[in-house]
Amino acid sequence: MLNFFSDPQWIIPNIIAPFVFTAVALIFFRNASGSLALYAVLGGGMMGMWGNTLYGAGFALAFDRWNGTLEYVLATPSRLVWIVAGRSASAAVLGLVNALAVLVVAVVGFKAQIGIVDPVTFLLALVLTLASLSALGVLFCSSFLLTRSASVLTNGLEMPIYVASGSMFPIALLPFWSHPLSLSLGPTWGIDALRHAADVTYVGMSFGFWTDILVLLASTAIYLAIGFWLFIIVEKKVRRNASLVEY
Amino acid sequence: MPAESEKAITVQELRRVYSSSKGIIRKTRNVVEAVKGISFDVDYGELFGLVGPNGAGKTTTIKMLTTLLTPTSGTAKVLGFDIVADYVDIRRRIGIIFGGERGLYYRVSGRENLRYFADLYGVPLPKREGTINELLGLVGLADRADERVEGYSRGMKQRLHIAKGLINDPRLIFMDEPTIGLDPEAARETRAMIKGLVEEGKTILLTTHYMFEADELCQRIGVISGGKIVALDSPSALKRFVKDVTVIEVEAFGVAEADLTALRQQPDVTTVNANLEGERQTIRVQTARGSEFIPTVTKLLSKAKIMEVRIKEPTLEDAYLKLVA
Amino acid sequence: MTSNFQEWPPLRIFLSSAQFAFKALFSWLRPEMWLMQVLTLPLFQMAFFVYLARFVAPAAANVAFIAVGNAMQVASFSSIFAVCNLTSEEKWQGTLVPLIASPANRFPLFLGRATFQILNGMATIAVGFLYATFIFGVDMSHANFLSLALVVLITSLAMTGFGLMLGSVGLFMRTAMIVANIFLFIGELLCGVNFPVTVLPIWLQPVSYAIPMTYGTMAARAAVQGSGILQLGPVLLQEIGSGFVSILIGYLLFRGFEILAIRRGKLEEY
Repeated sequence: MLNFFSDPQWIIPNIIAPFVFTAVALIFFRNASGSLALYAVLGGGMMGMWGNTLYGAGFALAFDRWNGTLEYVLATPSRLVWIVAGRSASAAVLGLVNALAVLVVAVVGFKAQIGIVDPVTFLLALVLTLASLSALGVLFCSSFLLTRSASVLTNGLEMPIYVASGSMFPIALLPFWSHPLSLSLGPTWGIDALRHAADVTYVGMSFGFWTDILVLLASTAIYLAIGFWLFIIVEKKVRRNASLVEY
Repeated sequence: MPAESEKAITVQELRRVYSSSKGIIRKTRNVVEAVKGISFDVDYGELFGLVGPNGAGKTTTIKMLTTLLTPTSGTAKVLGFDIVADYVDIRRRIGIIFGGERGLYYRVSGRENLRYFADLYGVPLPKREGTINELLGLVGLADRADERVEGYSRGMKQRLHIAKGLINDPRLIFMDEPTIGLDPEAARETRAMIKGLVEEGKTILLTTHYMFEADELCQRIGVISGGKIVALDSPSALKRFVKDVTVIEVEAFGVAEADLTALRQQPDVTTVNANLEGERQTIRVQTARGSEFIPTVTKLLSKAKIMEVRIKEPTLEDAYLKLVA
Repeated sequence: MTSNFQEWPPLRIFLSSAQFAFKALFSWLRPEMWLMQVLTLPLFQMAFFVYLARFVAPAAANVAFIAVGNAMQVASFSSIFAVCNLTSEEKWQGTLVPLIASPANRFPLFLGRATFQILNGMATIAVGFLYATFIFGVDMSHANFLSLALVVLITSLAMTGFGLMLGSVGLFMRTAMIVANIFLFIGELLCGVNFPVTVLPIWLQPVSYAIPMTYGTMAARAAVQGSGILQLGPVLLQEIGSGFVSILIGYLLFRGFEILAIRRGKLEEY
């Protein structure tokens, strides 16, 4: 995590984008009723969490690659996937900080009004969303390792996830054929859960809060499983050819 | 355009001070005088060496002469042009070989690197490809020219640096530690190349801290230490500086710094230079006393296991050590 | 001057730098990846704001406003991000030193490297407009395509100039990319992309007007509604002006950096 902090350039896009997008959204919402502001703020927070996770995980190893420390990391007895999971988790926590910052700015700067009805369930949803994001990050990291173009892909993935997960608007608005894709993303359920916890009147995807939670748990498990499997492939590939170490 | 200058390089009282400040609230200024007023000349067609320990001011001097650094005071002329006022004229006519890992475009091939610099230096288009091929042949990179630089070994990158430095067929070439980091064979080839360039009539100023290299290549050497030139002469003249000195070389095992301190405190000892790393330790003692001094040396090193004692002819390195001590 | 036009030093340096930057870029960015970026970036950025708009205020006019605005805004990725990346790379590769040591004229050197990104920007905007029309249903039946093309060209040029300026600012900082990333997204807020600049607080508006994209979005919408080149004249001139000022500032910063570094001896730091 220290490494992450020492190179500020990676943090910046993830801090800036959520703020800007939230600001735009809040300006859109300025005439709308109070509960809609929730969408903007929670969405912004989610975007902050997501962006950081993606960078933390996606670049967890790419960073090593550039620094030349990848060989040493691979040579350690710890399994690669746990190293990445750890970094991914800490990145998600960073994202949490980012999310909170967005919240603060929104409330203070734009005088948005959000009240959280049930803090306990909210917290639960938050933690599980973080976990799901970390797991997704692990999955992405392993697939990034297999291609040379990690940075291009991460630039490309940010926006699609913001759209598909319905971070700031209901996914019902999206074309129907994209719904399965949206639903396969843990964050989609996470944001729905968060909205449930924050606003009693929220209907959203109409699966209910606890369904969301269950799916979050399940998705975390699935992502980790796939990620684990992919890392085994990566480790085998590393031994067979040295291409991984080269940038 | 000035008339043909008499000397390739003239340096007069060149000084360079670096100042840096640390801290945000309480600023502490750190002033370092890297070059303290040096003067020397280099003739056309000469291979001039600037030698000295790390931090002596060699790199600072060469940067000033190549217009990459402005002096704090003093003047210098390169090929008749002033280093501060006429820097563009200088840049057009000189070659710079600084070597190292950086300074090349990694993601394109060696040939493309050379092409780009050829364009920047205004190498006439009809001659460009021919010049590039010639240079690639000269440095032995012809068969790997079209591979990306990121895949080159250290030695290959160094060779590409050399080719790049010659792209504009410069009359005067500056080389900063040209053989550092190269394996012995590559270094030997590089030195042969340097000699070849001088035979073609080029003027070269190089810096190095390998004394044997300076001895082999240079017609004249400037020894720079602590920002000042402490000696300026041909290698043989410099060696005469230590002609009255005998060098006792001891090969031992288990010598500690403390033993050397005692040795250094002996009245007839000029310098003691030791390489205590590794299994075989080599200690070179310069003394005016000659071989009769050997018993004293062995007595002071008696705590260690002495394997061999030799009397050596003083080399340029010994002269250098005496000068910078 | 030589008889061969190609040999005229500034032009040669310009073309050489342009070509070289192109090669260096595509040596690591595989064409498929680049294509993917050109095609997907506009789509999702536009989608986000269009859906958001549909959620809040679904009027077709609003959606059109946003779709056109975002179609233009996507140029920021190439003109700002990619251009700043150039500077960043020169720094850590250590190639700034040999560039400065060369006698090459700085101005064409400075401009040439960014040439490809101008083209890249235009291509991305074009794709953006395709999406705007066919996916998000913007009505282009009254559009004046000639003036729109001109708007796109000028915006890409001006924004690349803006990017060059940011890149020069980045020379003085440890990482140029911080600046790049801020400006990459800030356009969404400041440049009249999603809502008119007049919605912003008064003290913020001058910043908007310093960025060429603000004029670009205005002009683009007018062109889509049918304005001709003459009618767009004033706005376009302002855009050209702001782009020109950016290039000038950027170039001066670049030279300033060079002179400062040579005087202070900090050329190798990054």
